[in-house]
Amino acid sequence: MSEHNSSTPNSQPPGPLQGIRVIECGHMVAAAYAGKLMADLGAEVIKVEEPGGDSARQRGPYPGNTHHPEKSGLFLYLNTNKRGITLNLETSKGQELLQRLVQDADALVHNYHPTQMSALGLEYETLARHNPRLVMTSISPFGQTGPRREYTAHDLTMWSAGGLVFLGGAGGRPDLPPLKAFGQQAGFQAGVNAGLTSLGALYGRLRSGKGQHIDISVQECLVAIMENNYIAWPYDHTTPSRLGFRLIPQDVLQCRDGYIYVLAVEEHQWQNAVELMGNPEWADTELFQDFVSRSVNWDALKPLLEDWLQDKSVQEVYHGAQKRRVPFAPVSTMGDLLKSEHLNARGFFAELAHPEGGSLRYPGAPYKFSASPWALRSPAPCLGQHNEEIYGGQLGLSPEELKSLKETNVI
Amino acid sequence: MAEQLPLSGVRVADFTWVWAGPFCTVQLAHLGAEVIRIESESRLCITRRIPPSADGEAGPNRCGYFNQYNQGKHSICLNLKKPEGLEIAKKLVATSDIVAENFAAGVMDKMGLGYETLKAIKSDIIMIALSGYGATGPESPYVSYGPAQVPMSGLASLTGFPNFPPTNVGFSYGDPNGGLHGAFAVLAALMHRARTGEGQYIDLSQWETSVAVLGEGIMAQEMNGSPPQRIGNRDLYMAPHGLFRCQGDDRWISIVVADDIEWHKLCAAMGKPELANDTRFATLADRKQHEDALEAAVTAWTETRTDEAVTTTLQAAGVAAFPALTNKELAEDQHMRGRGFFAELPHPEVGVRQHAGVPWMFSDTPCAVRRPAPCLGQDTEDVLQRVLGYSADEIAVLKDTEVLS
Repeated sequence: MSEHNSSTPNSQPPGPLQGIRVIECGHMVAAAYAGKLMADLGAEVIKVEEPGGDSARQRGPYPGNTHHPEKSGLFLYLNTNKRGITLNLETSKGQELLQRLVQDADALVHNYHPTQMSALGLEYETLARHNPRLVMTSISPFGQTGPRREYTAHDLTMWSAGGLVFLGGAGGRPDLPPLKAFGQQAGFQAGVNAGLTSLGALYGRLRSGKGQHIDISVQECLVAIMENNYIAWPYDHTTPSRLGFRLIPQDVLQCRDGYIYVLAVEEHQWQNAVELMGNPEWADTELFQDFVSRSVNWDALKPLLEDWLQDKSVQEVYHGAQKRRVPFAPVSTMGDLLKSEHLNARGFFAELAHPEGGSLRYPGAPYKFSASPWALRSPAPCLGQHNEEIYGGQLGLSPEELKSLKETNVI
Repeated sequence: MAEQLPLSGVRVADFTWVWAGPFCTVQLAHLGAEVIRIESESRLCITRRIPPSADGEAGPNRCGYFNQYNQGKHSICLNLKKPEGLEIAKKLVATSDIVAENFAAGVMDKMGLGYETLKAIKSDIIMIALSGYGATGPESPYVSYGPAQVPMSGLASLTGFPNFPPTNVGFSYGDPNGGLHGAFAVLAALMHRARTGEGQYIDLSQWETSVAVLGEGIMAQEMNGSPPQRIGNRDLYMAPHGLFRCQGDDRWISIVVADDIEWHKLCAAMGKPELANDTRFATLADRKQHEDALEAAVTAWTETRTDEAVTTTLQAAGVAAFPALTNKELAEDQHMRGRGFFAELPHPEVGVRQHAGVPWMFSDTPCAVRRPAPCLGQDTEDVLQRVLGYSADEIAVLKDTEVLS
């Protein structure tokens, strides 16, 4: 596999989604991540923002922690490789322009709430009249149907509704609440589901010639990733939680300069870890003779491991363990990742300059394609940056019409 | 005429095991692909060996973990250490569109099933490898289990209560996240093949897909030289934002107030208009500054109520609120049941169990679970006869010589 990064996009073959045209509308993460996944593989994605901008622009991180809608790290990351236009979908003129855009599009992905779709001209039946080949993907908290379709939600309430928050938190601390994962994980998961279903329907369209409407429930996307925790109820009527017993011991333990994640699944891995620790006498006791007893007696084992770790570095323990095929892992900080020899050898981080946000390293290719690589070609659009190019160039509006659209707050 | 699903006619030779790989290929099965899992009796997938098993009775076909994530697939048993077994695997690849595997880097090559070999057999094959570290780089031979992706990606270091160590998220998030990204990548490669006729190799690192969902964390580090701090369930831009205790044993409600208007709605819904006028809570900045007191005020109201009652009251007022659901409540949920989310097909050993189904509804080509997860080796004879053209006599010989085990 050849290594690649963003600095030489012109020398690369095009991405696998070259020629696919996508319209993306909405706010925050879910639709934007679906759009990014496709744009980074070569699709032409037009991001449609309300005149006030995607609300992700109002969230940081910002350079120097100073709020600026063109410098949001969340927005910059989620919107690479897209062209951006503004459009007020609450106006009939705005909806008409969307219909014209849709005529030229293969897919539309959005995360407007089901209660807003009609008022914004985002009904599938209407748009399909303008383009029967359109694949439209609607992401909503609880889906387009059912008694909870109107419920309002944010990432945290979805992580709760999907059963995942109940699993997270501080073990042995019933006084503390369950704990969410950092960031906007419900949005990211919905985004990948929206991306893969959009492509699935586009692939099916090669044969059928027909578009269709895809209804994505964020709640269901999350129930689908509960590992063996959801299925425990239908199978043996147990309810895992953050307070429950762990069959295989695993924990985050402190080293001299950070934290290491310790895990030994197979018995030989534990034996190799014992050897790495210099075969301490305590390792021979019955208390720790197999993974079940080590799990039951974790409160006794943990301080012994911490004793051994306290004067060691994370990297020393990690590489030492892995050389013995022990699956310990570093508890990486963001800074550790940017410095990682392994990730950098693979060319994972991709540097990209944005006119307002400056030059930054972004998380890069999540997968390497041998024939049609992932690539960062352009930074996230500034608000309305491509209005003239798309309304004037693509839709053929005159400068006067554009001026009038601006004056009437349509764009 | 065969049903026309998006991936009808697409065949997947599925060498994956554990979770990330099977979660990738189950998406393809949902979309209509014929997914054939190559298994081994002597090296059972761990998800056929661990709880939960149906009614607590163990057995390779009774495990919920396997039966959840292998719905819609076929299973054949092949002994890949025997040349005849390897030969059958290659014949299967020759009739397939996609090969999926999630062994550590280099294992498929050692087995004689590396990409270059398979490409020589089927020139436009799409092969995806979902390893922990990726196929290249100094740490690529390292051992990786799914749960390690949460700490390795940095998600653990960003998750946790203040003054607590980095905290994992309670499940092996890197696996399904890698699997979904993998399914997306495979579909993109199918689109590319449809346009150009060209197959390719996809090297997916679960470590990297795990970092891909932490963009704001990396950007914070790049912009300001420091990562976001661990702040529990709180949010820098919204308050209240958290889980609040309700009536009952370990019952919690999540509540998010996005702005001042919603704060006033919450105060009215709680029947506490005095809070709306409390200067400590007037603006986001005020609420962030007095967040302990703010959360105590909300808890005082929630803790004497059920999570259900709080949800009904707050949703009626337009405030985002939802209980921290347990698996039992999910299984009993009438909303998802009404949407047809659950897949309940009869399975020969575990009967009808309520599995999580397809989380999307397609208007024209309805994707659904079409068959339950396979019993071990259930489709060996069928695949060898129907797909690969072996005769019954040939199959009998292969069985006698332990090639199909």
